[in-house]
Amino acid sequence: MALAVLLAGGIMAAVLVDRDKGQSTATTTVRGVIGSEKADFFADPDVVRAFADHGLTVRTETSGSWAMDSLDTSGYDFAFPSSSAPADALRSRSKDPGGPLRPFYSPLVVAAHRDAAEVLAANGLATLQSGQPGILRMDAYLKAMQKNTTWQQLRGSAAHSELTGTLFVTSTDPLSSNSGALYLAAASYVANGGAVVADSHGVAATAPLLHKLIAVQGAQQSSSDAPFRDFLSGVGNPLVLVYESQVASLLVRHQAGELGDLVLLYPDTTVSSDHTLVPFTGNGRRVGELLRDDPRLRQLAVRYGFRPQGDTKEFNAAAAPYTAYLNQKLTGVRQAPVPTSAVMHEIARRARDEK
Amino acid sequence: MRTVPRIAAAAALAGLLLTGCTGGGSGGGSGDGQGGQRTARPQPGTLRVLAGSELSDLEPVLKAAEKATGVKVVPTYSGTLDAVQQIASGQADRSYDAVWLPSDDYLRLHPEAARRIGSETPVMTSPVALGVRPEAVRRLGWDPGKVTWAQIGQAVTEGRLTYGMTDPARSNSGYSALVGLASALSGAQSALTEQDVRHAAPALKRFFAGQKLTSGSSGWLAQAYARQGSVDALINYESVLLSLNRDSHTDLTVIRPVDGVVTADYPLTLLASAGTDQRTAYTALTRYLRSPGAQQAITRQTLRRPVVASVAPDPRLPAGRRRELPFPGSRAVADGLLDSYENQLRRPSRTVYVLDTSGSMDGSRLSRLKTALAGLTGTDAAPGERFRDREEVTLMPFADTVKGVLGHTVEEGRRQQALDAIRADADALRADGGTAIYSSLQEAYRYLGQRADEAGGDRFTSIVLMTDGENTAGESADDFNAFYAALPADQRSVPVFPILFGDSDRAELQHIADLTGGRLFDAVGSSLSGAFEEIRGYQ
Repeated sequence: MALAVLLAGGIMAAVLVDRDKGQSTATTTVRGVIGSEKADFFADPDVVRAFADHGLTVRTETSGSWAMDSLDTSGYDFAFPSSSAPADALRSRSKDPGGPLRPFYSPLVVAAHRDAAEVLAANGLATLQSGQPGILRMDAYLKAMQKNTTWQQLRGSAAHSELTGTLFVTSTDPLSSNSGALYLAAASYVANGGAVVADSHGVAATAPLLHKLIAVQGAQQSSSDAPFRDFLSGVGNPLVLVYESQVASLLVRHQAGELGDLVLLYPDTTVSSDHTLVPFTGNGRRVGELLRDDPRLRQLAVRYGFRPQGDTKEFNAAAAPYTAYLNQKLTGVRQAPVPTSAVMHEIARRARDEK
Repeated sequence: MRTVPRIAAAAALAGLLLTGCTGGGSGGGSGDGQGGQRTARPQPGTLRVLAGSELSDLEPVLKAAEKATGVKVVPTYSGTLDAVQQIASGQADRSYDAVWLPSDDYLRLHPEAARRIGSETPVMTSPVALGVRPEAVRRLGWDPGKVTWAQIGQAVTEGRLTYGMTDPARSNSGYSALVGLASALSGAQSALTEQDVRHAAPALKRFFAGQKLTSGSSGWLAQAYARQGSVDALINYESVLLSLNRDSHTDLTVIRPVDGVVTADYPLTLLASAGTDQRTAYTALTRYLRSPGAQQAITRQTLRRPVVASVAPDPRLPAGRRRELPFPGSRAVADGLLDSYENQLRRPSRTVYVLDTSGSMDGSRLSRLKTALAGLTGTDAAPGERFRDREEVTLMPFADTVKGVLGHTVEEGRRQQALDAIRADADALRADGGTAIYSSLQEAYRYLGQRADEAGGDRFTSIVLMTDGENTAGESADDFNAFYAALPADQRSVPVFPILFGDSDRAELQHIADLTGGRLFDAVGSSLSGAFEEIRGYQ
């Protein structure tokens, strides 16, 4: 079947796919800019093969999700940031009338060492039940941050010499990294009385607390992989903000041994990384549709710990053996909406600011 | 045997690089490859890496990586702060595909450097620790697993513990130690602020009074420690201290203070300018380096900690978690801390520059010397690149005899005048006459003895010897050996840092460095200014 003859970024590509044999006789190269969290997924040989079977070769380059709206996207068939807000900003450039696609998502969670999680639970900052992941009480946590609470002030910390200094969750740099920005999105929602920050008034009201969340951390890394790696190797802060997918991908690939004594704390108000594909061309849209609909690609997304949109059965089946770590149904977790890209930039800038 | 090319053509840095191999000493680095050429252009399957100097101990691991992945790493060694400057200026983009420093924390504080890097992959970790002689541990009655920075600070303040540390303006281990000390001694509960630094200044000053040894590199620090025997402890990476125990049987007790450490996580970092082939090579290499087999080799061979939970750290690495002291989040704090250390907190230096101004120096050599000296007198120079406040700087130009003794003290209130005066003295140097190296060195030692009597001896004291030829006048090498042997112990501890320049005799200068516990710096065919700057770390 002749798929299409397309003008993509000035390059003409003719494609012929023999569907009956599931093999392409020629492939179309589709170029996309993606958030770095998905680089391993797109590099997976099984993913490459799955796209090839549909006649596509997907070439990706990574970029900070929140930097994509200032990127020259000419020559790309799609952009695939890790959050819906930058996707909305990118959408205005898309000539594709169909709108963005959200093939999968992953909530932000806090990776904790067991001792730290237990001390938080003993002090009402978290709830823990044996054999299950915990819940981080965001309200209590932000109050503790407001008061510059130290670990030493928490009951039960004395037995653990590493639990000293100000209590805080390590995040990535909110100006350059999606997870860092989404951390502030969740915190700003709680600090704003359970409403999404939408204007300069809300930004100003939440700025002092958000600044504190960032300032106590000192130097921050710019990608979510590095602090998680540090955490797993026993270095750094005992509480680190990660994507659920980072933990789930290790579990699904039978690498639970890597996790050591990790306990996942799901913030009771969190934000999900909505991996949102903005097509610029028909081929870009095709990539998004395959990610959303193709059973094999949905299964492969689960291999990388992502939750496919719509039907939950793939993720739940994969997570079933790991309910000690993963909150399969996100029970007790509220998903906060993310401020618009412009507001988020302003929140991040003020949080990072010296003054 | 194939050698590993590692020498930068960049003239400004070659002086640093030639002497930059330090490492924990497992023999992977020194000796091979000094005549090599850096790969000028990107090549498929090759990663040109600007690497921290202590990473030379990874060469066996990288050889195995090449076998397994086909990716060849061509390292060029440099200090962290110099590397950050190269990245920020864009110079690194032209010559390298990746950088590999003990930590990217300092780099990230420089926006013009931070925007030039791409993926970062931590490969291994090592915390800054204190290595203490066992007799000192006994004397202090310490339980090594329970020592705090406050206890260490108190022992130093009471004069019961002396130590050596690398220069924070030159070396990441020194800078990390400074951050850790400032955090711990200020009682800061989160990332350091300028107020914390001010608040901690008196305690830090007392602490740094106990620093009796400084060095521009970890490797030389270890050598100087072994030689001097007068220092009770070393502050450096845990891996460096444990490697020293393994290679030099120093038997140091390695203490990670329970109230916190600063840890290097060695992120292999792709430059944003790297091409597609290099990105692919980077991905293959980092995947390999984080594989269990490579992680095991790393922890066993280099005594750093693995970053993969399924691989157990080498048994020589003590167990138990430590709080990670946050690294400053702003450049104002980071540079302010460094500036305070250089100009207020550390013991001041006393330095004599014994400068060959014989006839052969006439022309471009003399003007290069003037430029190199002038380079250290800029008031807006980065920390570590100018004469420090409180420093005593003496120029001692010589030919057949010492031509003059030009002493200056850089006092904070009169900094500009002092720096101007040093520059003017340098500018007035004239070249004529023979070359009396040994007589002039003796003169320098006599002068320093006299200064210690007049103005006190509690300073980092050293001699820089810059000569462009062989000894042609005055005393002989044997005379100098005898003179040196007869010096009182405190004077014998003053090292000479000779600089190889022009037609000077490497063997002659190496002997002087070895005899006095100094280190030879190479400025032949490269920048004399670079050598002068690097020596700052040892002064």
